[in-house]
Amino acid sequence: MNTNQLYQERLTRYLTALRNEKPDKIPIRPFVAEFTAKYAGMTCQQVAHDYNLAFEAAVKCAREFDWDAIVPNMVYVWTGLAQAAGLRYYGIPGIGIPHTTGFNYIEPPEDNAFMREDEYDALIDDPTGFLYNVWLPRVSTEVAAIGQPATYRHNLALVKSSMAMMVYFTAFGPQIQRLHDECGTVSAIAGIFKAPFDIIGDKLRGYIGLTMDMVTQPDKVLKACEALMPHLTHVGLTTADPAKQVPIGFWMHRGCVPFISPKQFQSHYWPTLKPCIEEFWKRGNQTMFYAEGKWNHHLDDFATLPERSILFHVDQGDIFLAHKKLHHKFALSGGIPNVLLSYGKPDEVRAHCRKVIDGVAKEGGYIMDASAIMQDDTSIENLRALTDVTREYGVYSGSTQSSANPAKSCGTLRPCHGADVSKLTGLSGLAAPRIKPGICRPWEEKARELPPITGDQDLVRRVWENVEALGNTYIWQLLLSF
Amino acid sequence: MQELQLLHDAILKGDAKTAKSVTEQALASGVEPLKLVQDYMVPAMGEVGRRFECNDYFVPELLLAARAMKGALELIRPLLVASGVQPVGRVAVGTVKGDMHDIGKNLVAAMLEGGGYEVIDLGVNVSPEQFVAAVKEKNVQIVALSALLTTTMPSMKTTIEALKQAGVRDKVKVLIGGAPITKRYADEIGADGFGESAAGAVALAKQVTG
Ligand code: B12
Repeated sequence: MNTNQLYQERLTRYLTALRNEKPDKIPIRPFVAEFTAKYAGMTCQQVAHDYNLAFEAAVKCAREFDWDAIVPNMVYVWTGLAQAAGLRYYGIPGIGIPHTTGFNYIEPPEDNAFMREDEYDALIDDPTGFLYNVWLPRVSTEVAAIGQPATYRHNLALVKSSMAMMVYFTAFGPQIQRLHDECGTVSAIAGIFKAPFDIIGDKLRGYIGLTMDMVTQPDKVLKACEALMPHLTHVGLTTADPAKQVPIGFWMHRGCVPFISPKQFQSHYWPTLKPCIEEFWKRGNQTMFYAEGKWNHHLDDFATLPERSILFHVDQGDIFLAHKKLHHKFALSGGIPNVLLSYGKPDEVRAHCRKVIDGVAKEGGYIMDASAIMQDDTSIENLRALTDVTREYGVYSGSTQSSANPAKSCGTLRPCHGADVSKLTGLSGLAAPRIKPGICRPWEEKARELPPITGDQDLVRRVWENVEALGNTYIWQLLLSF
Repeated sequence: MQELQLLHDAILKGDAKTAKSVTEQALASGVEPLKLVQDYMVPAMGEVGRRFECNDYFVPELLLAARAMKGALELIRPLLVASGVQPVGRVAVGTVKGDMHDIGKNLVAAMLEGGGYEVIDLGVNVSPEQFVAAVKEKNVQIVALSALLTTTMPSMKTTIEALKQAGVRDKVKVLIGGAPITKRYADEIGADGFGESAAGAVALAKQVTG
């Protein structure tokens, strides 16, 4: 089989499972991060600081393991870019933290949060403007605050980091192609999304600050979550797989019990998340719920989402419970503890994988993966055991996957195929934001500064907005991906 | 005493302002500082832990209760020290080297403090040498280590080894915890105890020193 045939076969397998159906075998989709460096004989510093080395390491893994899908670079923060922007919230391997550890997100202390408690109104009024005017100068060692004199370093930081982002993102196309051509491996996810409530905790107020705000000003928090919804959804939609096959990556941090109470989940987290997921689904995009930590308390709520609209990934939660509550609607992935993969014995890994397969994969709709992303502590031998046992034990008899000519079915094989989305509200119930998502300054504002435009006004407007969108991409990607 | 019960309730509700004012008034009217701790604060934090355990309280409630308790304790502690009252025990807590996660560690520290222990919080990214120094210089009976990453779990082992090397391993009990930690790992590296939850930290500490 050549790599293209292999690719088609794997894509079919992966998509069939994403549709919560039974493929020929259980797809294997390990989220390997710094593990790739270990396997390829590189350091964590090398893969964090030089994304071409990270790409190389990922390709080596994809070539040498029988995996259906991987992320083109799970060491997703290119620290060269982080350094160019002067991001305070990253520990960069070899610069302040050991070169032998992966990059580290570092949270500021409570009294030094990137957004202050009295700044909700500004955030609500214009999230994009707030990020540029208030947030960026605070998270960056280089970018000058509004009203402060611009400096050489300020100018350089903006130019360098935005061009670096463009270069980095552009490099993903060829990397995905390489995975296809050289390995026959599918790129597992596309796009990025985070829940409004989570992003306020992660990058704006900090968890403790947000927790206190939930006592002193819960209404403001709710308004802020609502204000973020259209923007975050826009990022998800514009970065999603245009073929609508692989899911949008949604990294879930602290929206669950015990970080928040069930009451807060019902009042803030869920009502400002669910419409976004429905909006994705309305447009044919599935979302991967990468449920970090334990989300056992919230499975019933997730079960109210449309059938197949999500893939539910289990970290430390109970995968058997997740299967019981969600399998009738969604596919699952994960559930193999990292501590086992790092410190257990291959036989224990095999036994555990079998147990998970027996418990949740019998009728399809399961994708093999570790619980959390795999860093350099993951044992190579154990990951091999995971792969082998899944291949030996995870074969379905009488499956519906046509292995004879998988390529034929791939084109139309989408998670959303056959779904009825006509009754979904999505974001349509939400008041339109003052400044629409995807731009920074509205065209109307710009046009007022210009002499009357002659010729093709739509052309001028379209190009302005398209370039404006780049400015929007930069700041929202900094917030969500870096 | 009716008004003193207010201290208990204020901590339980996470009302720092009331906890502080009730404590101020009580101390001004000559209530024994130790009585405030033993009869009101410790039971309040015990109840907080119990509620956390049975999913009635969550991290926000715990954080608020801990803040209320700390505010009151700040007023009481100097008086306890001045009158020579000894804490139930002295514990050094910290998140191990390479690890910056501190939410769980802070909850453990708060519960121990609420259980009458004196807590020396070494913070995050604490090296084995810093733990050794705390044992040598601060006369602690317990060292409580937290780790949230599978990559930093080995730092627990290194810390225990460093305590051995420094000849102080026998002087202290070592407790470990954090999401990826298991009883089995605790046994493997020779820790004295493993705790799954902050709520059980006081009982665990008592058990190992018992
Ligand atoms: C918050 C968080 C962060 C914050 C930390 C902020 C802070 N101030 O703590 C930030 C964003 C900085 C962060 C960074 C990273 N994180 Co993090 N993080 C989390 C998260 C979301 C929650 C952890 C937490 O606070 N749990 C809540 C507390 C209450 O639980 P706990 O600590 O387990 O404590 C309880 C018990 O275990 C017990 N306990 C704890 N310690 C002790 C000690 C004793 C003695 C006892 C008795 C009991 C006890 O008591 C507590 C209450 O009952 C988890 C995912 C999740 N949702 O769980 C990921 C997670 C832990 N992080 C992870 C990773 C990979 C990272 C990073 C490497 C990511 C990166 N590349 O930047 C960095 C590493 C930074 C570093 N060097 O430490 C992974 C770890 C995977 C693994 N292989 O182990 C997780 C699981 C996410 C995931 N699924 O991928 N993270």
